[in-house]
Amino acid sequence: MTEPLLSVRDLKKHYPIRKGLFNRKVGAARAVDGISFDIEEGETLGLVGESGCGKSTAASSVIHLEEPTSGEVIFNGNGRGGATRDPDGTHPNDVTQFDDDEMMAFRRGAQMIFQDPSSSFDPRVSVGNAVGELLKVHGMSDRHRRRAIVEDLLERVGLSASDFDRYPHEFSGGQKQRIALARALVLNPDLIIADEPVSALDVSIQAEILSLINDLQDEFGLSLLFISHDMSVIRQICDRVAVMDLGEIVEIGPVEEIFTDPQHPYTEALLSSIPTPDPRASVGGIELKGTVPSPTNPPSGCRFHTRCHKVIQPDGVDVDQADWRGLLNFRDKVSAGEVDVEQVRENIAAGGSDLTDAEVQAEIRREFDIGETVDDPDLERTLSEALDLLIDGNDERAGEVLRNAITTPCAETEPERTVHTPDHESACLRHEGQAAAEPNPADD
Amino acid sequence: MATEDSERFDQVDWNDLSRSGRFDLSTNSIGMLLTTLPLALLGVYDWRFTGQRTPTFEFIGLERNLESLDFFFIFTLFLAFWYLVLPLYQNPRMTRYYWKEFKRNRPAVVSLGWLGIVFVGGLVGPLVMNAPQQDLFIAYQPPVFTSVVDTTPATCVGEVMNGRCYGTWQHPLGTTQGGKDVFTMIVYGMTISMQIAFITTTIVATIGISFGTLSAYAGGWVDEIMMRFVDIILSFPTFLMFLLILYIYGAGLGMFIVVFSLFAWGGTARYIRSKSLSISEEEFIKASRISGASTYQVIRGHVVPNAASSIITQLTLLIPGFLLAEAQLAFLGIGDSTVPSWGQLISAGRSDLSFAPWIVLAPGIVLFLTILAFNFLGDALLDALNPEAEAENE
Repeated sequence: MTEPLLSVRDLKKHYPIRKGLFNRKVGAARAVDGISFDIEEGETLGLVGESGCGKSTAASSVIHLEEPTSGEVIFNGNGRGGATRDPDGTHPNDVTQFDDDEMMAFRRGAQMIFQDPSSSFDPRVSVGNAVGELLKVHGMSDRHRRRAIVEDLLERVGLSASDFDRYPHEFSGGQKQRIALARALVLNPDLIIADEPVSALDVSIQAEILSLINDLQDEFGLSLLFISHDMSVIRQICDRVAVMDLGEIVEIGPVEEIFTDPQHPYTEALLSSIPTPDPRASVGGIELKGTVPSPTNPPSGCRFHTRCHKVIQPDGVDVDQADWRGLLNFRDKVSAGEVDVEQVRENIAAGGSDLTDAEVQAEIRREFDIGETVDDPDLERTLSEALDLLIDGNDERAGEVLRNAITTPCAETEPERTVHTPDHESACLRHEGQAAAEPNPADD
Repeated sequence: MATEDSERFDQVDWNDLSRSGRFDLSTNSIGMLLTTLPLALLGVYDWRFTGQRTPTFEFIGLERNLESLDFFFIFTLFLAFWYLVLPLYQNPRMTRYYWKEFKRNRPAVVSLGWLGIVFVGGLVGPLVMNAPQQDLFIAYQPPVFTSVVDTTPATCVGEVMNGRCYGTWQHPLGTTQGGKDVFTMIVYGMTISMQIAFITTTIVATIGISFGTLSAYAGGWVDEIMMRFVDIILSFPTFLMFLLILYIYGAGLGMFIVVFSLFAWGGTARYIRSKSLSISEEEFIKASRISGASTYQVIRGHVVPNAASSIITQLTLLIPGFLLAEAQLAFLGIGDSTVPSWGQLISAGRSDLSFAPWIVLAPGIVLFLTILAFNFLGDALLDALNPEAEAENE
């Protein structure tokens, strides 16, 4: 088996939350909570997820812009390949353990492109010097040689050599992103991490930049970690995709398989958000309901269960899936004390006429997408009881009744990674029982 | 080596290059070193080998002496040339852009012209003009185009008509009660004003920038202590401190400059700190950090230049304060009476205000114009160097 260029193992980045007079640590925002992936030489791995899920934190931890809390980042580029683990279990190529000289070498091996082209260049440094700065930092003191290299590189990314002396404000967003690409390339790295490199650009310019990245990647055999929230961009450029939700990778696999045969409900929801060019096609997106959890206090079990449209029903329960989702949402809202009967009553009363309690109950059901009757008689009884209690103003008791009766395995068990095809893994309880992924040590 | 001359990024042998020394000075630093070295040598020579009263340049037969203040002034001039003027020449595009923005402000362009005159006059004047000499026979000559009663001057240099003495081009701004030429004294005063401007700015900028960036980057309790120290500096009664020093040791112009600038950098440090904090969040700082640049390189290369554009304005606006303070002290009679500053001239003429107003008016107007010019310049620099600030004002 060939050695991957980069392998990340159980990488975590927690931001401590401090409070009070003595800055006591009261908790941590778990921005990245144990992710693992490999990038082969010349391969593009996409990292996708909604905003706030920890993609950018993952990138800055991998490139060591921030010190990761724990985990390994093993970089086998720069001719460091073929290393084996030391007897004490550490890896000689672990970036988190590098000393200063090794870190300088790592900087030459891995570079990064940032999202916002307007703020990623110092407004007081000409773009030629901004690109040449890297050469200078790494010991090239001959300024004529620096200039020659940078001018050659500017031409390669589609600008002209005479742009060397111009300042960032004289370029458009797309041009700046080309310069950013030149800056990332100038040290001839093996790996480039691109953090949403095209999301700030017009669609037409996006395509140009993406094809430029593709060309350069082919020419210089680059590996790419491509971060984006845009599934269509991912499909265009990536070989494999890792889907991230709330600091964890929920599914990873080849791009075609992920797009044609998504295994994790979160991936399905992301895919359904891609707009289709057919005006007659129904928007048909999967709408994620329920609250977006906070990384300081992630949900127990599967972190997606509060929003999952395929959340599992316990043994012996078999109701309509939409009803089930609605029931869970209803349970959470009531428990949080966020269902205000008076508000509901006022809202309908605006339509006229007096209201019976039955009408209010029906409205609450509609609000949570629960059918008029739930298929399961036990559940239906619980729901009616809870609704009655709610209308009587006994919110706490209603929450208790719901919490006792409505439970899902998703909230209790953390899903293991399961293998679908050799390269395609996901972490969802619905696939429990299929072949579990073998622990994948990095020193193979 | 074959690849040594290759000019493609993918053909650089980094292992070879990164092992070579990192000793890499810019043209500016080399120039600064080359010019400061002779100055330092001259200073040491002046300090150790020439007598207290011997002029510095006696060894080449020149009757010119340099005080320690002069040495420091020349040093700040070198600094300004190598790190302010030369970079403007090296980055013509940026310079043209700044100039385009700057010249939209007409009063500021006029101000710059005036300050240019004061600067050149202060540098060249004392070299080409003899120091004003006491000559009681020609005391109280009126300025050119004006006249006074014949009895005011001891002897009238110009024409006397109808019992009035007319001014001449010999003394275009008249003379003092000691018969010293006011114009010459104003030119000599330009040197003093420029010395005050350059030296205070250098001291304030150096301490303020180092203190501010250090505080921002150290963070935590170091930051806390440093900023509380700034509070102390800002609330320190500098004037009383100066009076104290004055009564104990006696205070010359040098002491004035040192004391006042050592207590004036608080605002600059605070400003630089907040600016550094906001700049260090920018993506180009991250980009610079993953290039492998050390914290010092990032601060020196990106944080300070970006913060500096805003403090240039602040520093420009500090200078008038110093000039005024010097004039006020001189007027109160507690300034350095050995230097020919504008304030001293005003103070010397105040008793003759009723019959010889030009002795006070001429330096007074020059001082007023200079202070006004610095204020205009500061405003225009803010707009030219910081387009965002201008947008916010509109």
